[in-house]
Amino acid sequence: MNKGPGVQWRRRFTTLALTLILPLAVVWWAFPEGLTPWRSAAIVTAWAGTALLVVNLLLMVRQPHLARLLGGLEPAYLWHHRSGMAAYLLLLSHPLTLAVDGWFEAPHRAWEILAPWAQSWPVWLGWLALVLLMFGLATTFALRLPYRRWRGFHFALGLGVVFGLAHVYVLLGEVILLLLLIVLALLALGWRLIASDLGVASLPYRVSQVTRQVPGMIEATLTPAATALAVTPGQFVLVAFGDGTHFRGCGEYHPFTVSGVAEDGTISLAIKSLGPCSQHIQAMEPGVRVRLQGPFGTFLQESAMAPQLWVAGGIGITPFIAALRAQPRTRHTTLIYLFRRAADAAFLEELTDYANNDPHFILHAVETGKMPADFPHLLQQVDELAQHEVNICGPAPMVNALLPHLGKSGVDPEMIHYERFDFR
Amino acid sequence: MMRKLFIVSTLLFWIAVAGFWAADVWLPEPMGEGTSATAAGKHYTLAELAGHDQADDCWMAIDGVVYDFSAYLPQHPAAPAVMLAWCGKEASQAFHTKTKGRPHSNYASQLLPQYRLGLLRGE
Ligand SMILES: Cc1cc2nc3c(=O)[nH]c(=O)nc-3n(C[C@H](O)[C@H](O)[C@H](O)COP(=O)(O)OP(=O)(O)OC[C@H]3O[C@@H](n4cnc5c(N)ncnc54)[C@H](O)[C@@H]3O)c2cc1C
Repeated sequence: MNKGPGVQWRRRFTTLALTLILPLAVVWWAFPEGLTPWRSAAIVTAWAGTALLVVNLLLMVRQPHLARLLGGLEPAYLWHHRSGMAAYLLLLSHPLTLAVDGWFEAPHRAWEILAPWAQSWPVWLGWLALVLLMFGLATTFALRLPYRRWRGFHFALGLGVVFGLAHVYVLLGEVILLLLLIVLALLALGWRLIASDLGVASLPYRVSQVTRQVPGMIEATLTPAATALAVTPGQFVLVAFGDGTHFRGCGEYHPFTVSGVAEDGTISLAIKSLGPCSQHIQAMEPGVRVRLQGPFGTFLQESAMAPQLWVAGGIGITPFIAALRAQPRTRHTTLIYLFRRAADAAFLEELTDYANNDPHFILHAVETGKMPADFPHLLQQVDELAQHEVNICGPAPMVNALLPHLGKSGVDPEMIHYERFDFR
Repeated sequence: MMRKLFIVSTLLFWIAVAGFWAADVWLPEPMGEGTSATAAGKHYTLAELAGHDQADDCWMAIDGVVYDFSAYLPQHPAAPAVMLAWCGKEASQAFHTKTKGRPHSNYASQLLPQYRLGLLRGE
């Protein structure tokens, strides 16, 4: 039974439909009658852009059910980006189409419509919204900012949406559809800021054990203090570490893929020092309180009956070690594990044990040094590669470098799944 | 891809805005408009307009023309409050952004001239 592709296709369709339904409905409702073509275009771009902004906010909500509907947080974020960009383009053309409309009335009218000083505060709100969107997107695209600053600037975008809605509200008053958009936007923003970022929707855990196998990485075992999350290997959780006797948490939620799931509800997380917070987490001690949200992700969830090729880069080994720990392999599985230095490679001994004892499991452990991996050579070692289902997990550059080689080797794109340890 | 799209669209946007500005600066003011405007009636300032913001004394400016809607207000198809909010103000945007199911069709535009008072004085 190969349900992978069908499910993927259906998910993609659901996401596309969910993204388009609101803007299309709004445009249909608001479609102007009896106006000049340019003025009509201005109204349509405004409504479509506003509705897409609201969709964009909904796609940023980190809620396990919603994420599952969309096939995971990663596709949700992809559509978050797409809808945001589409909204931006539409909203840029809104004042311009208004100006063109004015131009046909009298050329000087065009500038009068654009110049904020010729207008009143409802129009200023619109300008403020547009400038905030521009600024927020510029910081997203134009610079490679540290994550925290990037997120701070990202709030400018949320503020832009709020001012944009205010602009429409003061111009149109209590139009039912607009009120609906405002409520949806506030719900999405509220959920994200209150339930997710402040952790109202999270469950309490406690760190019961900390092990250090390789430098710059710890593995923490978390025991549920109340209900346990139903996590399966391949999924990730959002985790905020609190305080212990000596340890002070950084108090933010970070995504980590589980490296082990036990029947009693405990889960393990392997955390590598990659930045300020994960560096801080290296000093973890037993007893620290933890809050968890999730589970998220569909990685390794619906695998086909085909033989499996797993490719892990560095800390991207976590979903695979969790799967191996959960049960012996039932179908032929080859793991290519890439790391810089053998001394830093997490779980290497444990993996070697599995390879020696599980006849279905083959391990290729590859020390790459500072060089990029030689994928053509590595892939040659996999017999009948084109028949395989491929699961890749690791840093974005590695995933991006590998994908074209798989395409050339004849692997069906629908049979390639990946998780990139990077969210923006 | 997205990054390029952002940069190109943002640049084009500002070029277009600059274009409209330049056109405003360099294009001559059409002669006809000025004379016909004076002929068409008195000039009012925004401040004068602001003094007429009551239901029974309601002036609005739409596209540079000042109207006295006091007599029309009770006939307005939507809740009068919607319109009342704009009394004493520059209401072009409100007038033009009405949408389907709402009153500002060509018919509404045809109604306008009978309420015309004069022109809004540019500042
Ligand atoms: C789905 C997923 C699974 C992951 N699984 C693991 C794992 O099993 N083990 C592991 O060691 N690392 C994992 N990571 C990476 C881990 O989340 C980051 O290393 C960690 O959040 C870095 O935070 P920092 O403050 O130390 O570093 P920073 O330098 O601040 O951030 C580095 C990068 O981490 C990501 N990141 C940082 N903070 C957040 C946040 N609050 N929410 C979302 N993303 C953030 C961003 O992509 C950022 O660019 C995973 C990431 C993702 C997206």
